[in-house]
Amino acid sequence: MTEAPITAVPRRPMAKAWTASRAILAALGIAALIYLPFLLTERAVFGVPLSNGMLLNLGITQINLMLIFMLGALSLNFLTGCAGLISIGHGAFYAVGAMTGAVVGTQWGLPLPVVLVAAALVGALAGVIAGLPSLRVRGLYFVLSTLAAHHIIIFIFQEYQFEFFDVAGVPYTNPALGPMALDTPIRWYFFLLVLVIAVYWGLSNILKSREGRAMRAMHDHELAATAMGADVRILRLKAFALSSAIAAVAGALYAYYLTNATSESFGISFAIQFIAMIIIGGLGSLPGSLFGAAIWLLLPSLISGLAANVGDAPALVRVLLVDNRAQFVQALFGSLVIVLLIFAPGGLPDLSRKLGRLFARERGQ
Amino acid sequence: MFAQVLFSGFALGSIYGLVALGFAVVFKATQVFNFAQGALAVCGAYFAVTAISILGLPFPLAILAMLAASALLGVIIHMTLIQPLSGRSMLAIIMVTIALSIVIRAVIEIIYGPQGRVLSTPLPTGVFIVGDLRMPKLHLTAAATSWVCMAAFGAFFRFTRVGLLMRATADRHEAAMAAGVNVNLMNRLAWAIGSVLAGIGGLFLGQLQIVSTELETIGLLALPAVVIGGLQSIPGAIVGGLLVGMIEQFSSSYISPKSTDIAIYGFLLLILLFRPWGLLGDQETGRV
Repeated sequence: MTEAPITAVPRRPMAKAWTASRAILAALGIAALIYLPFLLTERAVFGVPLSNGMLLNLGITQINLMLIFMLGALSLNFLTGCAGLISIGHGAFYAVGAMTGAVVGTQWGLPLPVVLVAAALVGALAGVIAGLPSLRVRGLYFVLSTLAAHHIIIFIFQEYQFEFFDVAGVPYTNPALGPMALDTPIRWYFFLLVLVIAVYWGLSNILKSREGRAMRAMHDHELAATAMGADVRILRLKAFALSSAIAAVAGALYAYYLTNATSESFGISFAIQFIAMIIIGGLGSLPGSLFGAAIWLLLPSLISGLAANVGDAPALVRVLLVDNRAQFVQALFGSLVIVLLIFAPGGLPDLSRKLGRLFARERGQ
Repeated sequence: MFAQVLFSGFALGSIYGLVALGFAVVFKATQVFNFAQGALAVCGAYFAVTAISILGLPFPLAILAMLAASALLGVIIHMTLIQPLSGRSMLAIIMVTIALSIVIRAVIEIIYGPQGRVLSTPLPTGVFIVGDLRMPKLHLTAAATSWVCMAAFGAFFRFTRVGLLMRATADRHEAAMAAGVNVNLMNRLAWAIGSVLAGIGGLFLGQLQIVSTELETIGLLALPAVVIGGLQSIPGAIVGGLLVGMIEQFSSSYISPKSTDIAIYGFLLLILLFRPWGLLGDQETGRV
């Protein structure tokens, strides 16, 4: 039975041939990604200074945080969108990573690469434990067990933090990759960029592999997948382990990037934003996760940029954009998620496709 | 000490039971696991603040206005958000209620400001002292009102025609529809009831503490309460609410104030692992 192939999911045709235009596009994209951090730190193009508004009020910090959150969004979309396991407690695995970082990095003083490997291992283990209820309970009950797991992990972090550190939280110092210290945002940027690309590439390859296809089949129809010879219990645990390992690595990086973490950093709203990201970007779509994380992390600063320019706008606009910016952003994101769920379950890309078709039809008539 | 903790656990547990009952009514009727139940409780508290402090209505009128506003809110939520999503995946429905609670929270903070508000009502505020036991009248009123509401709704579902129709609808949509029941109307009614019960709970929670959006986390204790009691069971919600109140008070007095969350959710996890259908629920047979 080892050779029972799962053929329920048709394989996509292999990567399209490298035409000249694709190669040029790819080269331009890579050049833009390399140039972006220099643009954002120097805030000038070839010596011509740019205003905040022209840079959309973005800084390198937001870009770096966005990359860190992209890892979380990718891993959650792998788990929820592709394997069909809904987890409300995904933010807690960031906390697992941050906690591993505190023990291995801050307390034992080991270098960052060791911390990241340890975070991945501990995260995978925690993921398997948190995924154990999936052997017994389904659907809604499983969602609740992830919520319970979230509270338990945060409680452990809190106890740990007050045992060895204090209210101010755990400090994370001197991240370095071998001889290269991660002491400038630009260095962080390139490190994170490589990591995000590697994780993206790895996950998309896993989804194309035999197990990945079995996982998608499990998502679509569990019984059918079982009948085709996929052991859904093991698959679930594997998906959970991989996803939470990635989230834990991202959590350790998050803690190191911010140089401090407390148990309050990883509350339930922290976890929920990842679900919002993958809904905005489109469930089950890896590029969508990147897109959703980008919207989630960058839109607030765009709105701040807008707020700087309102000047003598009507009172209501000022109340929303200046006095209550945080709440306004929350309301905006909440409404966006609601609208997408009702009208375009595939996320923003789906919505724009639908709108485009609608306009095309209007024009045709 | 023990009696005191038991008393406050009972009083708070009664309020949780009330909010959880609203949650269970909604879940039974529309299969929606409503993460916005805490936000609905917050809305109830702010409706009361609006009616009493801002509009200056006399207390009974203010309460009526608050109940009407809560019911209307529930109906609007069902019409605009829940109905369009019927038949969609669980994640979509869960997420829409989470997004709704985010929006409610943000809108309330924009309108009323992020600071809490004091809710001043003519409810009795003194303390009865029996031996060592201190019983604040407010706790007693909250518990008594909760039990009256729970009994009233229990009777409503059991003995009235509309209650019967609602139970029929919850049991089997298609059969109820074939028998001529207006299923959508019944579901809207369920959302109105759920929202009103959350609102009453929010009124008392706001009265015992201070009215702010932080009440949402307390209101959300209805979630473990219903699951512990049994998702499909109305008495289960009440028992679950009481249990959660007790666990919260006992763990915070005997272990540490920080341990309440883990005590409640740890218990929830045990229930999920060993008795997923809850203490009073019916065991679901595996669905294929």
